[in-house]
Amino acid sequence: MKKIRSIGVIDDDPITVFGIKKMLNLLEVSETIKTYANGKEAIEDIKDMLEKNDAIPEVIFLDINMPIMDGWQFLEEFITLPLPNRIRINILTSSIDPADRENWLYYKEKTHHLIDYKNKPIRKHQIKDMTSPA
Amino acid sequence: MLRETQTNTSNYLIKQLPKATAFIDKEFKVVHASDTWIDYFDFNSDQVIGKTIHKLFGKVNPEWQEALDNCIRGQQSAIEIERYFDSNNREKWFEWVNIPWYDEGENIIGVILQVEDVTKRINNELEHEKLQILLKEKSEIAKIGSWEYDAVADELTWSDMTKKIHGVPLSHKPDLANGIEFYKEGYSRNTISLAVHKAMVEGIPWTERLQLVKANGEEIWVIAAGKPLFKNKEFIGLIGTFQDINDSVISDLKTKENEKLLRTLIDNLPLNVFIKDTDSRKILANKSEVSFCGLEDESQIIGKTDFDFYDQVTARSSREEDLYVMQTLKPILSKETINVKKDGTVTTFMTSKLPLIGDDGKSNGLVGISWDISDIKQKEKELRDLINVTSLQNKQLINFAHIVSHNLRSHTANFSMLLEFLINEKDEEEKEKIINMLNEASDNLLETLENLNEVVAISTNVNLEKKPTFLYKKIQTVEQNLAAFLKKNNATLINNVPNDLQIMVIPAYIDSILMNFITNSVKYKDPKRDPVITLSINRNEQYTILSIEDNGLGIDLKKYGDKLFGMYKTFHHNSDARGIGLYISKNQIEAMNGKVMVCSEVDKGTTFNIYFNEKN
Repeated sequence: MKKIRSIGVIDDDPITVFGIKKMLNLLEVSETIKTYANGKEAIEDIKDMLEKNDAIPEVIFLDINMPIMDGWQFLEEFITLPLPNRIRINILTSSIDPADRENWLYYKEKTHHLIDYKNKPIRKHQIKDMTSPA
Repeated sequence: MLRETQTNTSNYLIKQLPKATAFIDKEFKVVHASDTWIDYFDFNSDQVIGKTIHKLFGKVNPEWQEALDNCIRGQQSAIEIERYFDSNNREKWFEWVNIPWYDEGENIIGVILQVEDVTKRINNELEHEKLQILLKEKSEIAKIGSWEYDAVADELTWSDMTKKIHGVPLSHKPDLANGIEFYKEGYSRNTISLAVHKAMVEGIPWTERLQLVKANGEEIWVIAAGKPLFKNKEFIGLIGTFQDINDSVISDLKTKENEKLLRTLIDNLPLNVFIKDTDSRKILANKSEVSFCGLEDESQIIGKTDFDFYDQVTARSSREEDLYVMQTLKPILSKETINVKKDGTVTTFMTSKLPLIGDDGKSNGLVGISWDISDIKQKEKELRDLINVTSLQNKQLINFAHIVSHNLRSHTANFSMLLEFLINEKDEEEKEKIINMLNEASDNLLETLENLNEVVAISTNVNLEKKPTFLYKKIQTVEQNLAAFLKKNNATLINNVPNDLQIMVIPAYIDSILMNFITNSVKYKDPKRDPVITLSINRNEQYTILSIEDNGLGIDLKKYGDKLFGMYKTFHHNSDARGIGLYISKNQIEAMNGKVMVCSEVDKGTTFNIYFNEKN
């Protein structure tokens, strides 16, 4: 299995972050795992990496309900970034609001990146699929 | 000689006879002729004497010849009437008498011809006959019969038509008592008895509309007229007529009945009904319309237009509708119009206007039917408001359900995940870490449940009553309770609320709301300046508006506007931001039928306007 160089986890809930990190480490899919407590921290770091020509995460785990900048606002900005490579974005949410699902379909059509949508919790056996390169 | 003189004398006498007379001998030669006779036939007076009548008249018809022959034999002929055309071709009628001419010895010596011009009489007779025929025709057509009562002989005569009207055979012989019995018992018979009596005694003629009962029992209406006849001031009889007017009376009654029915109908319709002429003047108005215009009688409305009852705008648009209907001949059906009366009363009508079309195909007015639907409109509006409120509440409920679901799910997802780790974990240290996290997740869940409970309590505590509350005092109390917090942050609170102002609120909620907004203003202060919070009051028709203005960080409403009052939404890097305060405050304000609005500018500050509903 081809190792992914960098994964980003964006979630305000420390327990979820802990869980995802633990599963990723167990499966040893990535060298680096970056974590962010909200969309704003993440988008700012990614922009910074772009400027410095650093490698940006190839897979992103994204929560929707977050303070300051939520998942949708993050996506809105992210898809405008000049990223030629296809990034895999796994939306993870506990929401069952149909409006969120519609939002997903909207962004999915709008970008060349691969956007997936999963309800929490995720299981270890799902991680493999969710980290396969887009 | 003497004889000659005698002849001349008689000759002269005959010549002057006033009646046209001629004497002819047995050879039918004229011996004597009166001037009148010569004149009658336009003869030349010199050429008459000695000529035969055959020569004079050209031709003598056989009957006359026979009559003359009979005369000579001693038989006087009957009077004969002859038609004759004179030299001017005028029609003339003559009455002839041929008498035998005797001499002194009673010997027949010729014939005396006497002629009388009866043209006038004949014409009169013809005229009379014509009149008789006309009268008969007229009486047949107009169903007028006549009668005559001869008081002297106590004899009553009915014309054929009169008999027909009474339904009796032509052979019927009426008498006065029997005649009166044909009148319907009651009013009709009493009236005629009295009329006949009055005519006989006082000489007053009568004309009455009465009912007869025909021989077959059928009741009919007639005009009975009569007139007494007097001779030398003595009553000698009565003459009169009968006219059968049953058909017209029946149709009259029917028309009247229909009119009454129609009038009753339109007067009792729960609709305003009116008829307008081409100038939009009302020429009919039913009771509803009259009382709608604030009047008591239809006569007060007749001739008036909408300009007399409505304001200019309403009246003008009504006139435009009228013109449209009358010019196009197309009806306006069930049009909803808002009508403002002169006193300002507003009524919503569902109006139909239908053109009245005359024989010439043009409109000579219109019929209007208006239904006052103001009440229905009002109810409709209330219903719509209620639907709006309900659908809003429903939306909020669904939203809340999603919040609950999301918040509970996020914790249970964590439980599930952590438990899976725990089962498979070998490392003791890691196990302890996971257990600590499970504890944390459990605490979070409890807190979430508490928060949700708080929200549910607001929505379910509908029985909490609003009470008049002095707002100024409430702010003072909150200020005292927050004194330490305010002092620590160097915050200033300016209370511009009038100290006598009372608002209708649930006291517990107003405490919580004030506390929440004031704390927020301080929490999200701009680090570059000391916080200043100003509270002031505005009013509009329905609401008392409390403005809470601060000079804090401000919020980018473009980005966060729709989430500001959402649950668990925070917008600043602030460690104790829970994201529940504004959500609860908003719920409390809405539970008091109020609303909250916000305006804000980043780095300048934020103003929350809280609308307290004073009406409801």
